[in-house]
Amino acid sequence: MATVNASAGAPLAPATRTSFWRTFWTNAVIAPRTTLGFMRIDFVLGTIFIIPLMQMVFFVFVVQVSGGGASAIAFTALGNAVSTVTYSSIFSVCQTTDSEKQQGTMEHLLVSPANRLALYFGRGLLPILISLATVSVGILYAVLLFGVQIPVATVPSLAVSVTLTAFAMVGFGLLLGGVALYLRTSIILGNIFLFIGLLLSGVNFPASQLPTVLQWIGYGFPLTWGLSAIRASVAGDSLGAVALLWGAVVVAAVVSFGLAIGLWEYFERRALATGSIARF
Amino acid sequence: MTPIPAIETRGLTRTFESRKGFLFREVTRTEALRGVDLAVAPESIFGLLGPNGAGKTTFVKILSTLLLPTGGKASVLGHDVVDDSAWLRPRIGLVLGGERGLYNRINARDNLRYFADLYGIPTREREARIESVLERVGLTWAADRRVEEYSRGMKQKLHIARGILHRPQVLFLDEPTIGLDPKSARETRKLVRSLVSDGVTIFLTTHYMFEAEELCPEIAVMSKGRIVARDTVAGLRHLVGGDRTLEAEAYGFEDREVATLRALPGVSKIVSEEYGPKTRLTLRLRSLETTPDDVQAALPGHTELSVRERRTSLEDVYLDLVEEEAR
Amino acid sequence: MATADVPAISRSRATRASLRLAVLMFMADPQWLIPSMIAPVIFGVVAFELFRGAGPYFLTYAILGAGMMSMWGQTLYGSGWAIGQDREFGTLEPTVQSPTPYVYVVLGRVLWNVVSGLMGGGIVYLVVLASAGSPPAVPDPVGFVILFLFVMLTLASVGILFSAAWVYTRYSGFIQNVGEFAFYVGTGCMFPIVLLPFWTNPIGLFFPPTWALDALRYLSIPGYVGFSWGFWPDILGAVVTTLVYVAIAGTIFKRVELHVLAKGNLSDY
Repeated sequence: MATVNASAGAPLAPATRTSFWRTFWTNAVIAPRTTLGFMRIDFVLGTIFIIPLMQMVFFVFVVQVSGGGASAIAFTALGNAVSTVTYSSIFSVCQTTDSEKQQGTMEHLLVSPANRLALYFGRGLLPILISLATVSVGILYAVLLFGVQIPVATVPSLAVSVTLTAFAMVGFGLLLGGVALYLRTSIILGNIFLFIGLLLSGVNFPASQLPTVLQWIGYGFPLTWGLSAIRASVAGDSLGAVALLWGAVVVAAVVSFGLAIGLWEYFERRALATGSIARF
Repeated sequence: MTPIPAIETRGLTRTFESRKGFLFREVTRTEALRGVDLAVAPESIFGLLGPNGAGKTTFVKILSTLLLPTGGKASVLGHDVVDDSAWLRPRIGLVLGGERGLYNRINARDNLRYFADLYGIPTREREARIESVLERVGLTWAADRRVEEYSRGMKQKLHIARGILHRPQVLFLDEPTIGLDPKSARETRKLVRSLVSDGVTIFLTTHYMFEAEELCPEIAVMSKGRIVARDTVAGLRHLVGGDRTLEAEAYGFEDREVATLRALPGVSKIVSEEYGPKTRLTLRLRSLETTPDDVQAALPGHTELSVRERRTSLEDVYLDLVEEEAR
Repeated sequence: MATADVPAISRSRATRASLRLAVLMFMADPQWLIPSMIAPVIFGVVAFELFRGAGPYFLTYAILGAGMMSMWGQTLYGSGWAIGQDREFGTLEPTVQSPTPYVYVVLGRVLWNVVSGLMGGGIVYLVVLASAGSPPAVPDPVGFVILFLFVMLTLASVGILFSAAWVYTRYSGFIQNVGEFAFYVGTGCMFPIVLLPFWTNPIGLFFPPTWALDALRYLSIPGYVGFSWGFWPDILGAVVTTLVYVAIAGTIFKRVELHVLAKGNLSDY
């Protein structure tokens, strides 16, 4: 009878710090290329330059028609400039998961011994960079086209707010990406949270106009806190007041990333148990 | 009067272009087909063999109106595949196979109903026709299960069922038994044979030599976008040097020994292969004159020499032709 | 099995088959119900909040605007997405290879999306109604309903042409994402396009729903100021542009099919 020599074959690479970063980097660079939206530079440019402009123009005109003044227009313009971060954070991460299921590469990924933390965080790197660019361009449009005033002194505070928002939103995107592992398609999730952001996160009108229950739901989304921090920075609020909101954004980011890891592991098990990994 | 070929191509070419780069577009051209001339008689099974990337699927897609050629002419049932595609489509069937190409979320019956409607199968006949093809491919028992629950082999059978649902006159089968277990593969081959007896012309591409040998009276070998040989299996054997093959194996041979073997009567070709410490000489023979004993006698002094005779297989023919083309 | 005579292809049957398939696929993946229900609710509440207090007919404005956005999403997105799914599943090749012209398959998918778009419109109405507490005043309810259905038809005509893009290239999803709000702006979903810079107006007039929606606002909002030519020319414009879309749909699909057959990208996804 043939026996199997357990020590035969090439030795397994030890799980070193190097292998962690290697997994991180591979996922940061290669995984986004597997999705249609981020495979081509013209698509990335479209996400950064065209989507924010169109969304802002649309809602600003709606505000104009409904009789809103300059301050309402500025409010809406800034809100939509920031909310377009949803495309590059939530959509792109969910799309990566969908795309890998469709191409049949997800199963191979899940049987690999790659460090999951490095794998998931790696996937967030490019979306964070594109999110930063998208929000920055959106804010630039808000200033140049829609009369949003940003005093120079507030720019450093604004930069911190934008960066933290990008991180928190991508964390939220990763969290939804974990759910997407289980669903047939995650584009649904992307759509839902794009619309929910428009309604509950104070994008087009202050969240305080909403019923209390909806306001509380809104606080569950990182976009709500990120947008509040950005608005506070632009308004020149005191560092203490802005720092409180930064703290909230950081908490939202940490919770999102933490839940993302937990959900990826949970839904990985669910998907393997139900066989939904091969369904799309 | 010579019948019109069921399939005919003249100088058929197809070049694919792919572009990359944003500011500086780099165009890469791949010649998938490079002047293919072929004629296939009606109501027969014709086999097309070739390695991966030889251009077989491209050829099948052009013939089944799913791809335009970049040069040359192709006709099926005497009609041009480009100009008369509307006339041809209801008369031809295509089985591409694989995991994709079916509506996975719905069951097999609904998949077939949909395509029956697109092919205009009379409504009163539709259900009976679906039952009949499901039975023919052996899927009746799973007809109401979602396709996503199917094994690869079952999906392959459903592809075939869809391909024959509208009773085509010409059926293109692109590797129809890939992924099937031996029993299902044998049933599929039986099905293919029965289709020919019903008057269907079958154009089959495959990697499996025994399948081609078993099913196809005529075979063409495609390599790098060209037909490198086309004949019956016996004709192809003759083409690569004969029906008989002798193999001599030992720990290396000298050049003069190979030259001696080459001089033996009827030897048309010698191929040398090394594996591990041993060398194998494969001799193709056109006649019966040279025997294993003659080879043994021509190679004195080898303590571990073994010589054996066998019939030249289609695989030998295929490998000879493809390797020759590669050189 | 004797080879049969070739049966006549019934285009209406192919369209019905495609509609049936769309329903079956929807039933098989009912999670699509969630965005189909949530999007109209959110559009409804956002429109209500934005238009609150903007004149006596703000409710009608909100319903029309949010309803249009919802229906746009369902009809255009849904139609395109269905073709995109054919690419993903690898079923675009066998479908195009069948003797039915693909445009009739698309028509079936669009019809299903029109139905789900109508549901979206209905949900928006209920949401705005619930937010306001009373139904909006509509001077001519019968005319409103007829015209509303006509607006759906104009949307469907655009949906068919937009679907051609999905056959043309696998990148249509992204293009549609980028263009979504541009369409909302250009066709005056929420506001009359006369408010936009003048040079953009001809672009909006190229779309049948722009005309139909302007007519619908003329009918349902007394004192509405849209295109200066008024209600009936709006109707005429909508009918003419819709007919043009329907007339060129077949030709466009034929050209698109020739393009993809030449390119050989039918199986790309």
